[in-house]
Amino acid sequence: MTAGEDAEADRSKVGGGGAAGAGAGPLFELPPELAIDPDVARRVMVGFIRNQLRQAGFVRALLGLSGGIDSALVAFLVAQAVGPESMLCVLMPYRTSSPESVDHARLVVDQLGCASDLVDISPIVDGYFGRDGELGAGGEAASDAAPLRRGNFMARARMCVLYDRSVLWDGLVAGTGNKTESLIGYSTLFGDSACAFNPIGDLYKSQVRQVAAAIGVPEQIIRKAPSADLWPGQTDEAEAGFSYPELDRLLFWMIDKRRTDEELAAMGFPAPAVGRVKRLVAVSEFKRQVPPVAKLGPRTTGVDYLYPRRRPGSAR
Amino acid sequence: MQPLRIALAQLAPRLGVLDDNLASHHETLAAARSGGAALVIFPELGLTGYQLQDLAAEVAMRADDPRLVSLAADAAGMSAVVSFVEEAADHRLFISAALLEDGEVRFVHRKLFLPTYGLFDERRFFAAGDRLRATDSRLGVRLGIAVCEDFWHLAVPETLALDGAQILINVSSSPGRDLAAIHEVGLGTAASWRTLMRTYAQLTTSFVVFCNRVGMDETISFWGGSEVIAPSGEAVFTAPLFDEGLHFVDIELGDVRRERIGLPLLRDERPELHLRELRRILAERTDMAIDQASEAPDGLPAEARAPDRTKAHR
Repeated sequence: MTAGEDAEADRSKVGGGGAAGAGAGPLFELPPELAIDPDVARRVMVGFIRNQLRQAGFVRALLGLSGGIDSALVAFLVAQAVGPESMLCVLMPYRTSSPESVDHARLVVDQLGCASDLVDISPIVDGYFGRDGELGAGGEAASDAAPLRRGNFMARARMCVLYDRSVLWDGLVAGTGNKTESLIGYSTLFGDSACAFNPIGDLYKSQVRQVAAAIGVPEQIIRKAPSADLWPGQTDEAEAGFSYPELDRLLFWMIDKRRTDEELAAMGFPAPAVGRVKRLVAVSEFKRQVPPVAKLGPRTTGVDYLYPRRRPGSAR
Repeated sequence: MQPLRIALAQLAPRLGVLDDNLASHHETLAAARSGGAALVIFPELGLTGYQLQDLAAEVAMRADDPRLVSLAADAAGMSAVVSFVEEAADHRLFISAALLEDGEVRFVHRKLFLPTYGLFDERRFFAAGDRLRATDSRLGVRLGIAVCEDFWHLAVPETLALDGAQILINVSSSPGRDLAAIHEVGLGTAASWRTLMRTYAQLTTSFVVFCNRVGMDETISFWGGSEVIAPSGEAVFTAPLFDEGLHFVDIELGDVRRERIGLPLLRDERPELHLRELRRILAERTDMAIDQASEAPDGLPAEARAPDRTKAHR
């Protein structure tokens, strides 16, 4: 058997969430090498949330609930960690957001029985870019902004709302970005990636689906095509040009299992796809790290001043 | 023979909060005593927490620190292994495990192997110990004490057993990682550790006692799963993953004798052979003279006598 054939065998997919949806096919596609024990993962993440809050001196948490699977899973985890009464879900649609997104977010809120808050970010966003021929605060330079600029602005507007609400709620902001989007840089710096802690940031999208199914996230949220919902009809997979299971497998072998380009090719990954993903990972390195500080003094944060984030005296 | 009662303190220390951790050790010693334990084992850096970084110097104690002596006083009538950041007289910092007996600090093992790879960065903050010795104990058998990564090096359990240890103790702060469904209990770290400890117990025909912490430091979850393995390699006890708890385990020291009579592996060890070959390997690595006493088997080419492996090793 050649390495290629071996990889073919490896690539056979197992369906996940067999218990759900009679006759509707598997709930999601789970590459076998990415399968985890959802209960062990859940225990670690719930413990992590509790610990992060306790060490910072907080009891409550909040998060932006988009209606998608990532934030839905984090909502379920936070509810298990601190109880739904200590969690606030903030829904922050823009006027062109899919109505389905808000419906799905409400489904999660109703199922968990937690507090929720709806803030329409349209006036914030339109106030900058302008609307219906009227210039906004951004002036001419903002009036014909491309969808990507608008999308990034929306993500940062949501961050502003969430952090403002965190004062009102007296809680910490839980992050909702997954490992796949973090590695390929499919996130907005200081936007959706801004948070006090992130329980799911080391789970690939396929693994998010696996844990979400096990923990009881509503089926229609698991089933729908992932989307940043920055413009109508947008889907992650169409934008990236990869399906999540394929992308997750490639990232897993490339990064977690340190396979070389030659080894990846022998496993059946097309060279152009490997090259593209490697570039995406490399150019987004800056998004995954704190901004660098020029070394000048005797002790510099992150270089030779190295303390745990949470330590004696760190709780407020 | 009376069974020996071991208490495994699978605790979740608070990072950098020495006073809280000292208090929990005092409480646990009292609970172990009322449970009838003769040997109480606490996890690696149970007094300080693990992910200390620059906090290490701030929580360091001398081995004769009154706070340790006070713990030893609470352990009177028992043997207890506690772990802390030790500051030596020359101000080097070590990850140490101390044996407390009869109100004193009886013995200190300084962690020998400091992982500095992957998620670990120990060598940046700590000095490595350079003594590996079994120690007498009031339990009537010698103990071999090691800290976490020490057990990822074969020579450590072997040397401790050759030095007379019948109970090998490993105190750990092992971060749980490599979650995958294919692993036993869903955790790659647990699967690896369990394999190691069963193997060491069987090969050294000794009891292996593993005490691993739980709780979290920063982003790291410690998985617990503390264990006692019999000299036959079979698990006598396995603690739950992730949950804090004080677990009592009775062992029969007679099992060591039975196993060593039936399976005299330790008798048949060849430390002199090992030492001779290690000397040769070291000499070759460092380009020193080859030990002429080691002979190549008949009929092999001359190179086999003094293998030219030094080049490859540079």
